[in-house]
Amino acid sequence: MALQILIQGFVLSGLYALIAVGFTMIFSVGRVLNLAYGVYIMLGGYIYYAALQEAGLPVFASFILAILAGVTFGLLTYLLLVRRLEDNPIAVEISTLILAVVMQALIVVIFGAAPKTMWPVIRGVLRFEGISVTMNILLATGVSWIVLGGLTAFVRYTHLGRAIRAVSMDRKGAVISGIEPSFISMVTWAMSGAFGAIAGVFFATFTQLDSHMWVFPLIISVAVVIVGGIGSIVGSLIAAHIIGFVETITTTLIAAELRGVSTMLLIILVLLVRPKGLFGRAEL
Amino acid sequence: MSIDRETKRYLVWWLAFGVLMCLLPLGVGPGTLRILIFAHFLAMFAMSWDFLSGRTGYISFGHPFLIGIGGYTTAILSFRFGVPLYFSIPAAVVATMVGGTLFFLPALRIRGTYFALVTLAFMEILYQLTKVVAPKVTGGTRGISGLESIVTGAVNNYYLSFGIMFAIGVVLWLLIRTRLGVALSAIRMNEEAVRSTGHSTTKLKLFAFMVSAAVSGVGGAFYVHYIGSIAPRGMFEINFLFTILVAALLGGAETIIGPIMGAYFLTVLLEYLRPVMPGMERYLLYGGIALVLYVVRPAGIYSLIADAGRKMQEWRR
Repeated sequence: MALQILIQGFVLSGLYALIAVGFTMIFSVGRVLNLAYGVYIMLGGYIYYAALQEAGLPVFASFILAILAGVTFGLLTYLLLVRRLEDNPIAVEISTLILAVVMQALIVVIFGAAPKTMWPVIRGVLRFEGISVTMNILLATGVSWIVLGGLTAFVRYTHLGRAIRAVSMDRKGAVISGIEPSFISMVTWAMSGAFGAIAGVFFATFTQLDSHMWVFPLIISVAVVIVGGIGSIVGSLIAAHIIGFVETITTTLIAAELRGVSTMLLIILVLLVRPKGLFGRAEL
Repeated sequence: MSIDRETKRYLVWWLAFGVLMCLLPLGVGPGTLRILIFAHFLAMFAMSWDFLSGRTGYISFGHPFLIGIGGYTTAILSFRFGVPLYFSIPAAVVATMVGGTLFFLPALRIRGTYFALVTLAFMEILYQLTKVVAPKVTGGTRGISGLESIVTGAVNNYYLSFGIMFAIGVVLWLLIRTRLGVALSAIRMNEEAVRSTGHSTTKLKLFAFMVSAAVSGVGGAFYVHYIGSIAPRGMFEINFLFTILVAALLGGAETIIGPIMGAYFLTVLLEYLRPVMPGMERYLLYGGIALVLYVVRPAGIYSLIADAGRKMQEWRR
């Protein structure tokens, strides 16, 4: 039992960290909550599905298409919507929520309301001491670690990454140092769209494709930001593990139906006890 | 409260609106009335949302939570325990206000974007819980259907729903014209400044939450008895929240007539689009309209009309 919780917890947490990373980036750089983030995840899943299972493209090409769709949509959200409302975080929140519902309707119009099952990215099941884990979810966890590791290296060691960090710490200071914050914002939104789409492919293979699938990842992302505090990659990685493990423990030991409830209660608890998150304000 | 000229003028408008809507069943068929009944309920929810979020700036993404508490309380009491409606509906309102107190607790510590998310979490929790906790009582995923109705027939239900909506509208409108209403608006602009004038912002906020919850409770309770059923899906859903939000914002937040106009506009638009666009395309269209309007004109339709009225007056001079 303990081993099962450990393995499932790690695997689930890896997926959650991957889901949340794009959302956290936007929040730490622009200080806005992008409630349309779940749409990137949904879009990633659907585009991958359409390319692979309907158009018959190879896995790699489908992945690239999904990422491109995420990047495009992320940029469009920023340029058409968020940039106009950037000084008003509540307006951003409301308008991105409306956008998410609009996109949900668009998905139903294009793909229909019936849920779709996706093929796993890779097949096979790994058995260990009587516990079985699909290769697909293991790959998701691996990709999650690679993405997070790559992102950490990117923001530490490249010029662009350091500029992103500078804007997230102090916008005015960054402008004085010759950084163009609107360009940095565009880069962040594009990256957020890409991460969302990657996470979406794995999330959709983990559950299934339907037009409501954007809500759960959004809530997970929000939970990660709230539990982990603003904009620290390590903080959100730890937060994703707290959420993943709390969920695994609740579902295995108490009741499987309480899957979402434990996460919600965690959000509310943390907000009431430590509104700035468990790790406070750290740099990206 | 002394009645000044402006108040009198607005009261005349309210009266005209009431008389017009009361005469409407003479001219239109039951189909149109049924559409308008939905508009009335949506208007109640939108006014409730607006009284809390439009006024104080504490954006609620969890209004279906409040409405659902009201709906479920009266549904369970009347259907499972045979409690008469004249008792179960007031009980639902009280239960919603208790739920509103729960809602209020996070507002003591957090505000802005975080508050909205906590309320969203409240809604999601209730959605999950109604499905798994005591399904024998709540009906689980399928909910409860076959609820007792208060009056029958389109005309009666029209008058009932309009009466409630109109009463709520007038009471809220009178409330916001008092000093209390001004203080609530001031919270949105600068909470610290309100506190520094010696007012207790906690009490003011609690008041706004209680009024909003009571309106949601009344609306939710009457709504489930009108449609005769309640289920977690459809009630605690982001689409429902979206409809309420869009109605309030489209019409114009921070006014009373705005949410009412938004509700009428949205319901009628949705209904007339039904033959042309049977499915989700309608959400696509009106979501798109709402989005564009929100970005271009955040103050909503009411402000467009008010501006036009002002220009007309200037032009006449």
